[in-house]
Amino acid sequence: MHSHPVVTSKDFHRLSPYLYEVPRSFREDMRVPARFYANSQLLEAIKDDKSLGQLVNTATMPGVVKYALAMPDIHQGYGFPIGGVIATELPDGVISPGGVGYDINCGVRLLGTHIDREEIAPHLDELATVLYANCPSGVGKGGNIKLKRGELDRLVEEGAQWALSRGYASAEDLEKTEESGRVEGADASKVSTRAMQRGASQVGTLGAGNHFIEVDVVDQVFDSTAADRMGLSPGRIAVQIHCGSRGFGHQVCTDYVKQFQRVIHKYGIKLPDRELVCAPLSSPEGQDYLAAMKAAANYAFANRQVLTHHIRRSFDQVLAGKVSNHRIYQIYDIAHNMAKIEKHQVNGQKKEVCVHRKGATRAFGPGSPVLPGIYRDIGQPVLVPGSMGTASWVLLGTQGSMDQTFGSTCHGAGRMMSRRQAKREVWGSDLRDELEAAGIHVRAGSMPGLAEEAPTAYKDVDLVVEVVHEAGIAKKVARIIPVAVIKG
Amino acid sequence: MSPLTSPNDFEVVDHTADWALRIYGSDLTQLLSNAAIGMASLMVQDIRQVPVHVERYLELEAYDAETLLVDWLTELAFWAEDEQLIFPEISLSDVTDTHLKASLKGSRVAELLKHIKAVTYHNLEIEKTERGLAATVVFDV
Repeated sequence: MHSHPVVTSKDFHRLSPYLYEVPRSFREDMRVPARFYANSQLLEAIKDDKSLGQLVNTATMPGVVKYALAMPDIHQGYGFPIGGVIATELPDGVISPGGVGYDINCGVRLLGTHIDREEIAPHLDELATVLYANCPSGVGKGGNIKLKRGELDRLVEEGAQWALSRGYASAEDLEKTEESGRVEGADASKVSTRAMQRGASQVGTLGAGNHFIEVDVVDQVFDSTAADRMGLSPGRIAVQIHCGSRGFGHQVCTDYVKQFQRVIHKYGIKLPDRELVCAPLSSPEGQDYLAAMKAAANYAFANRQVLTHHIRRSFDQVLAGKVSNHRIYQIYDIAHNMAKIEKHQVNGQKKEVCVHRKGATRAFGPGSPVLPGIYRDIGQPVLVPGSMGTASWVLLGTQGSMDQTFGSTCHGAGRMMSRRQAKREVWGSDLRDELEAAGIHVRAGSMPGLAEEAPTAYKDVDLVVEVVHEAGIAKKVARIIPVAVIKG
Repeated sequence: MSPLTSPNDFEVVDHTADWALRIYGSDLTQLLSNAAIGMASLMVQDIRQVPVHVERYLELEAYDAETLLVDWLTELAFWAEDEQLIFPEISLSDVTDTHLKASLKGSRVAELLKHIKAVTYHNLEIEKTERGLAATVVFDV
């Protein structure tokens, strides 16, 4: 199992200034070549961990077409690398729970405001405190939403639509959410009792790890037409939410990775890593996982929607009567851990494929019929959070992403230092003091947890974005920088 | 009753995005026990300080030894998430590659340092080494 050769510099070559390829001949079990996006600086970080070997492993998945891909924020995960994208051809190509990950539909929501930096400044400290109090965070922390009997079934089948019916959303919020906040085909009966139990109390909670709520200010605008359309202008306040499907999604993945340990033998599938276990999309097991994964995706959309409600309450509580207009509007909401059935060009033909994005963002270009009317002519907004205390980016999907990457692009900065090393090198309380000194208000439940997320543990998000922009698989719209961070 | 494990029975292995443990044991029973203590040590400052007020019992059937190891740790991670329960005392019996019985003693802790979201199968293989059995488990955090 560990006998595969390590990928070194001599095993890949440059196809274009920002694109590299490990040819299919590298390992006999590869079905397609493996490609990754990088520049020379990012390449150094990528070579340091085991992510390229993991990328090569994904090129062995049954039914994989064209090439296995990794975005420039690629780093070592388990099974798939984080930043990995593959497409498997229907009907018999596979779906892999590990290729979606445990935090199904982990994603990012960006909210816009009418408030300028100067206007919010005197109230920011109080706002950070109130956001921290109103948005439950931390290990296993339960939320304050009580679900009626049977209501969780409805929530996981309807996603953000459920939140609308409970008064936690506006129709505009849903329209500006990937899949309108509701993935069709979710089936609560394909989800275990344990997953329902874990999910029941966690609706509207942030969790721990790298999840956060951030109050940001627009620093720079690169595409004023697109920025205007989104309601972003220099100096304007915006809010980001980064979280997913909590214990519900973790359990769905755990259950199906376990079940598929046995299932792969039934279908004669051989894999280089047990975390990659999968089942043909045409099989009952594959279909069951897809329906359960969709339920978890809907849970995450509902979760970010309820958190949006808590953020609105917090703005209301702190800013009503103190700023001219404290209304918050949705800009967009994207998933970055998901498998989706989409149509893409494969060998000159439009084919139905299952695109696995594991730490990668859908980035559909202009004209895509699935985009809301307001964004259809400019392309899909792509939200790329940076590491804590650093910039985040708003991008657009392009024709280039449709042509090159199955309509996908990067999802973040990408780690380069282990959590253990970060904890050794950084004290959480020192980091908090540094961020506060830089004018960023921090509220965090755990100081060691804060240290693990130190910006020095991550690559420079600006470099990652530069690569996707130059490679043409996304286009810069705006750069935003934090003024308050809420973490579990 | 397996005694509280010595520090050499597991070690933290560097992993970019998550946490990983290299776990050793003279046999499968010892490996499973050390894995449980190792995972708990990621979640609390000092497992030796956790009192033993609460008792739990567990019986698991699994597909093979690796699946048994993941299922076992998954159950313990669930109790930690759901009830903040940590178990410093573990007694395993009737252990085979596909079955175990466990009797656990521990208590609720005020705060967990880390949330183990899931126990993965990434490159998971229980290997025979000079020290007995060994396995590397990667946790999603």
